[in-house]
Amino acid sequence: MVRMAGKGGSSNGGGGGRESKKPALLLGRYEVGKLLGQGNFAKVYHARSVRTGEEVAIKVMEKEKILKSGLMAHIKREIAVLRRVRHPHIVQLYEVMATKLRIYFVMEYVRGGELFARVARGRLREDDARRYFQQLVSSVAFCHARGVYHRDIKPENLLLDDAGELKVTDFGLSAVAEQMRHDGLFHTFCGTPAYVAPEVLSRRGYDAAKADLWSCGVVLFVLAAGYLPFRDRNLVAMYRKIHRGEFRCPRWFSPGLTRLLRRVLDTSPPRRATAAEIMGDEWFKVGFRRFSFRVEDDRSFTRFDLDDDASTSPPEPDTPRADAAAAGREKPRRVAAGLTSCASAPSLLQLEARGGSSSSSSSSSSSRRRSSLNAFDIISFSRGFDLSGLFEGGGAPEQPPHPAAARFVSAAPAERVLAALEAAASAAGMAVRGRDDSSVSIEGTREGEHGALAVAAEIYELTPELLVVEVRRTSGGAADYEEFFRARLRPSLRDLVCDEDEPTLLQSDERSRSL
Amino acid sequence: MGCLQTKHASRSPHLLDTREAVALAAETSFTVSEVEALHDLFRKISNSVIRDNLIHKEEFQLALFRGKKQQNLFVDRVFDLFDQKRNGVIEFGEFVRSLGVFHPDAPEDQKVAFAFKLYDLKQTGFIERHELKEMVLALLDESDLDIASDAVEMIVDRADTKGDGKIDQEEWTEYAKDNPYVLRNMTLPYLKDITMVFPSFVMHSEISETDMAV
Repeated sequence: MVRMAGKGGSSNGGGGGRESKKPALLLGRYEVGKLLGQGNFAKVYHARSVRTGEEVAIKVMEKEKILKSGLMAHIKREIAVLRRVRHPHIVQLYEVMATKLRIYFVMEYVRGGELFARVARGRLREDDARRYFQQLVSSVAFCHARGVYHRDIKPENLLLDDAGELKVTDFGLSAVAEQMRHDGLFHTFCGTPAYVAPEVLSRRGYDAAKADLWSCGVVLFVLAAGYLPFRDRNLVAMYRKIHRGEFRCPRWFSPGLTRLLRRVLDTSPPRRATAAEIMGDEWFKVGFRRFSFRVEDDRSFTRFDLDDDASTSPPEPDTPRADAAAAGREKPRRVAAGLTSCASAPSLLQLEARGGSSSSSSSSSSSRRRSSLNAFDIISFSRGFDLSGLFEGGGAPEQPPHPAAARFVSAAPAERVLAALEAAASAAGMAVRGRDDSSVSIEGTREGEHGALAVAAEIYELTPELLVVEVRRTSGGAADYEEFFRARLRPSLRDLVCDEDEPTLLQSDERSRSL
Repeated sequence: MGCLQTKHASRSPHLLDTREAVALAAETSFTVSEVEALHDLFRKISNSVIRDNLIHKEEFQLALFRGKKQQNLFVDRVFDLFDQKRNGVIEFGEFVRSLGVFHPDAPEDQKVAFAFKLYDLKQTGFIERHELKEMVLALLDESDLDIASDAVEMIVDRADTKGDGKIDQEEWTEYAKDNPYVLRNMTLPYLKDITMVFPSFVMHSEISETDMAV
């Protein structure tokens, strides 16, 4: 799609003349504003949520065109895929709507325009180019780890938000974008094929992950050089250069940058650097802050640095709300686990310092009184009340596991439970990040596939003799958690109460164990 | 656009009636598209055992417990509340209206009221002490947990803040306000994603542009 950056004119609706004028209010939910851009398949409008005032971009596609080009099934699949990739550097799809004639994608609105508008004013300093490249590669790696490939990384798809952070758009929508390419529009600064990997151009079967990384390499070159690595006025000649991997780094590139580019713009896909290799590169790593984040609700992220050793455990959002996920540093693999969407509801046992003051976000005050459970707390443990099961069975098979909590009942004193949790943590090579007399949070020191594992445990009083221990994963990969849970946590708790009673799983929640 | 319909030349009874979708959207926090996406889910659940586009209790249990049939007091309660007409099955309209309460954007007082009805087992207008106890025992049973009966009494007592043996709507509303987590089962974040989880509707939606612009 051609985005008319800068012009922003909405004067001409363009295209279909017979098309009735667009509704001013979409579903009573969005006030549709000016046209931001349009392509063969889609028009993008600025819009505002009537309820929240939030700005969004709405991509409107004509069903007829999509049907004619046989892309409907593809679009359906991509919607499901996009739902799985929520990342601070990826433009998010919020919801989908449809009428008889059209499909509407409601997406995050990114205000800062295209990254390449910046380059058009001149090449970037190497540090700036690196920063954008880091953000690009980390989001691409994140998607690859979830089996999602972009397939069309190019200037128009790299946007900047208010804060100057990169936002990659049109992830997973490549089929539509690819088709758009046939509209014959090659853009002034950089024609689309310039970013495409040689193996893709030659229409061989290709490894989508490696192809994406090639495109990232071209982007990096352009950012730092101010021009394309493979350029020729003659398209055939350009193709030839791409196939041969013929490019020359300008003399102002540092040796480290040149070295990295040679590894990324390698015409042989097997030889080409993987995302993990790129992220391990010396030039790449300069100033790179690995981060992990959790999805707070469907619109916001809490980010925390993984490289920050100053024991800044994430401001301990005492609400272990959603599943967390880490920045992708993983090798491209098809895994369905990880980041997700769900469960932004408050944690069941989020007994926010009940009995004490009800500061809504109970800070990790260490003198918190241990909460005791009443009938309502206990009843709400029932799986019968948890309707989320309805959506999992019928829903997307690849849906990530629900970040449910596991609860144990123990007859041991709280101190011993805490000690056992800490022992389990240290046996697993994890560090205790915070502790008071009714809770402990532990964090992995080793980076797993999905970032460092973090686990929080809270203790509540069921009866004067019995405690309920709730354990949940607050970040990191599901598989890592499973391993920790099965191999370390359970045995140590079992030992704890073996002479009293078998440790009972209060709500044997298979969802937390199924992976 | 005749060509759009080639695949659905004759409308199958499985398809959602457009007017119904529009009406349900008007009644709930859902958009028309979300109602259509929910219809996809509804079709799956309601035809899992008996292919009649109605959710029977058995189908409800299967869906909730992922393939395992399980008796559960709480599932029974939820089912009964979904089954507004009390005819033993959940129809699509009932399904949407009830789930509407669980929408993250649904008004809080709807959630409070729904939860109250859930706990008011005998529908006397009060959550009575014996009902609380019955539910606690059911949960302990569900969890294979055996605790002393005086401990059970204590757990029940903790919930009855006034100590008069029953909890009325007002008391419950106050309690829910002070302890918002008791409503956490009443919000399903999934519902916000429903159009992306069940995107099939984008192909066969028959909603007109004017219905979209309500």
